[in-house]
Amino acid sequence: MNAFIDARTVPAGTVLAPDLAIIGGGPAGITLALALAQTPLSIMLFESGGLDFDAATQALYAGSSTGVTYLPLDASRMRYLGGSTNHWGGWCKPFDAIDFERRNWVAHSGWPFGIKELEPYFARAQSLVEAGAWRYDEATTAMTAIAPPLKLAPGGVYTSWFQFSKQRGSVLPTHFGERYGDDLKRIANLKLFLHANATALKLSANAAGLETIEIAALGGHRFTVKPKRAVLALGAVENARLMLASGGVGNQNDLVGRYFADHPIPRDTATLVSFSGEMAGYYFNSVQAAGALIRATYAPTDAFKRKARVLGSLTTVENPVELNELDKAAIVTAALALGADASNARAFSLGCGLELEPDPERRLTLTGEKDALGLPRLKLSNRVSNADFQRYRDTIKELGRQILAAGSGMLRLNYDSRSAWEAALDWGDHHLGTTRMHVDPKQGVVDANSQIHGIANLYVAGSGVFPTYSASNPTLNLVALTLRLAEHLKRLPA
Amino acid sequence: MSDPTRDRGGFSRRAVTIGGGIAVALGLTAVGVTVPRLFGKHYRKSPYDDLLAQLIDRDAAAKVGKAALQGGGIFPDPADLARELRGRLERRSLADVTASDLDQSNLVEVRGWVLPQTLVLLSVLAAEQDG
Repeated sequence: MNAFIDARTVPAGTVLAPDLAIIGGGPAGITLALALAQTPLSIMLFESGGLDFDAATQALYAGSSTGVTYLPLDASRMRYLGGSTNHWGGWCKPFDAIDFERRNWVAHSGWPFGIKELEPYFARAQSLVEAGAWRYDEATTAMTAIAPPLKLAPGGVYTSWFQFSKQRGSVLPTHFGERYGDDLKRIANLKLFLHANATALKLSANAAGLETIEIAALGGHRFTVKPKRAVLALGAVENARLMLASGGVGNQNDLVGRYFADHPIPRDTATLVSFSGEMAGYYFNSVQAAGALIRATYAPTDAFKRKARVLGSLTTVENPVELNELDKAAIVTAALALGADASNARAFSLGCGLELEPDPERRLTLTGEKDALGLPRLKLSNRVSNADFQRYRDTIKELGRQILAAGSGMLRLNYDSRSAWEAALDWGDHHLGTTRMHVDPKQGVVDANSQIHGIANLYVAGSGVFPTYSASNPTLNLVALTLRLAEHLKRLPA
Repeated sequence: MSDPTRDRGGFSRRAVTIGGGIAVALGLTAVGVTVPRLFGKHYRKSPYDDLLAQLIDRDAAAKVGKAALQGGGIFPDPADLARELRGRLERRSLADVTASDLDQSNLVEVRGWVLPQTLVLLSVLAAEQDG
């Protein structure tokens, strides 16, 4: 077993020279280290934090934001081994094939490859996130056996399924640092440094290669890493920050930090009425079935996305709600007209996660303020377009049509103004898109292999490379993409 | 031996709908919904009673219609509205027309409730008459 190394014990002035430096010990960095175990590569992983939360380290994340209200930058991620899996909710859902397509109604859409590139890695990714057997859209039969889903008439929305990372008693899902700490110690070709913050990337004179990475610990301890190759796995926000703070690494086309995204999670977007009053438990909570923890969600079909020009969204049933006199009148009127029995009708709030359209002006930039290590802090300019809200509204309106057409219930849309949407807005803590992938350096920071355009030995891992975001939660997908990167790195000449 | 709900040896669509409607409305008292009067509330006579008779709970529909009017929707005057509705309902039941509206996405939002258009128009007519 290789004990983790406290960076504060490394003599100042030391120059370390691994084959591969992994910067960041979150789900991407840990996945990469695990995937490259037992290869001939000598690997070093540098994690800013320790094994537990530390306020001084966490404060390095602090930044500011303007525009649409967003979470504090030091509250929406976690800076110790395991990264943001340390506050992960465990929601898993793979991307759909359409997520990779260039969609003519979605500006800046299109990945350099299709879902088939990622499919070989999903099984291993599913295992790493400990989400049980692969069910997802195949779960309908098993879930229907537990209780019938609310009937929907044919249309643009269907009942889909989330899976959840394994829960241990009252402990929330797989925290990568805790779960894989011992596995990392057993990797013979890995040295893992804690309390090791990357503060600068230094390129060669012609800027075609990474030469060194400066590492600093809180308290002033500093040393240098001179790797053959490096992978930035700091998360979408911090990768962009380090690149911008290092003189604009990869930013020759002013793209680093742009196209930031998260999944807006507006609360109580609609009220769903079940005429029978019945809603299976799997709409509200994850249920153990068919070897997995599964929860229902409403998703737009690919055909509806194309026809109605909407993006992805995942709608969940949340809590029972009270109805006023007009609500009851609407239910009576609709149910009687359809000959439906609404005598036991009950109503529930809906929540959701939305895919945003990529927007270059939703971006991170450096400010004049610096953190305790001397790195400039970030400012997020946050935006959500009216069209993003409208597309989701169109989707749940279609859900309402389908429920009513099936005679199983009906739906009320709760927001019809931008101010109402914004007042209900929360966020998924899913940082996406600041170092987007594109084959054209003028449209993306990294290429199809996650290598930074123009820098032969520097890569980016994680959801920051997603050029479009899907509505699916990112962890499972970024782990799969990182496994693909690992295969690429294995194939490179020494 | 005569059963008032029987028509030529089977349930007529109208009778079934009314019977079902009463059952629904009775059941909804459990969650505090206004119950239509079983023995008929007397409404002021109007030229549109043939249409309004399609509404099993006219009071509830009038509430929906009132909300639609207050919501700023632009609706034809009652005579034109009635002409339009008679055209739609002349040979088809409200249930059929409602189902057809839903199939064709002929929807109107009333305070956010996603409702079939014909049902909302009929509700607006009820609100205008019962105002």
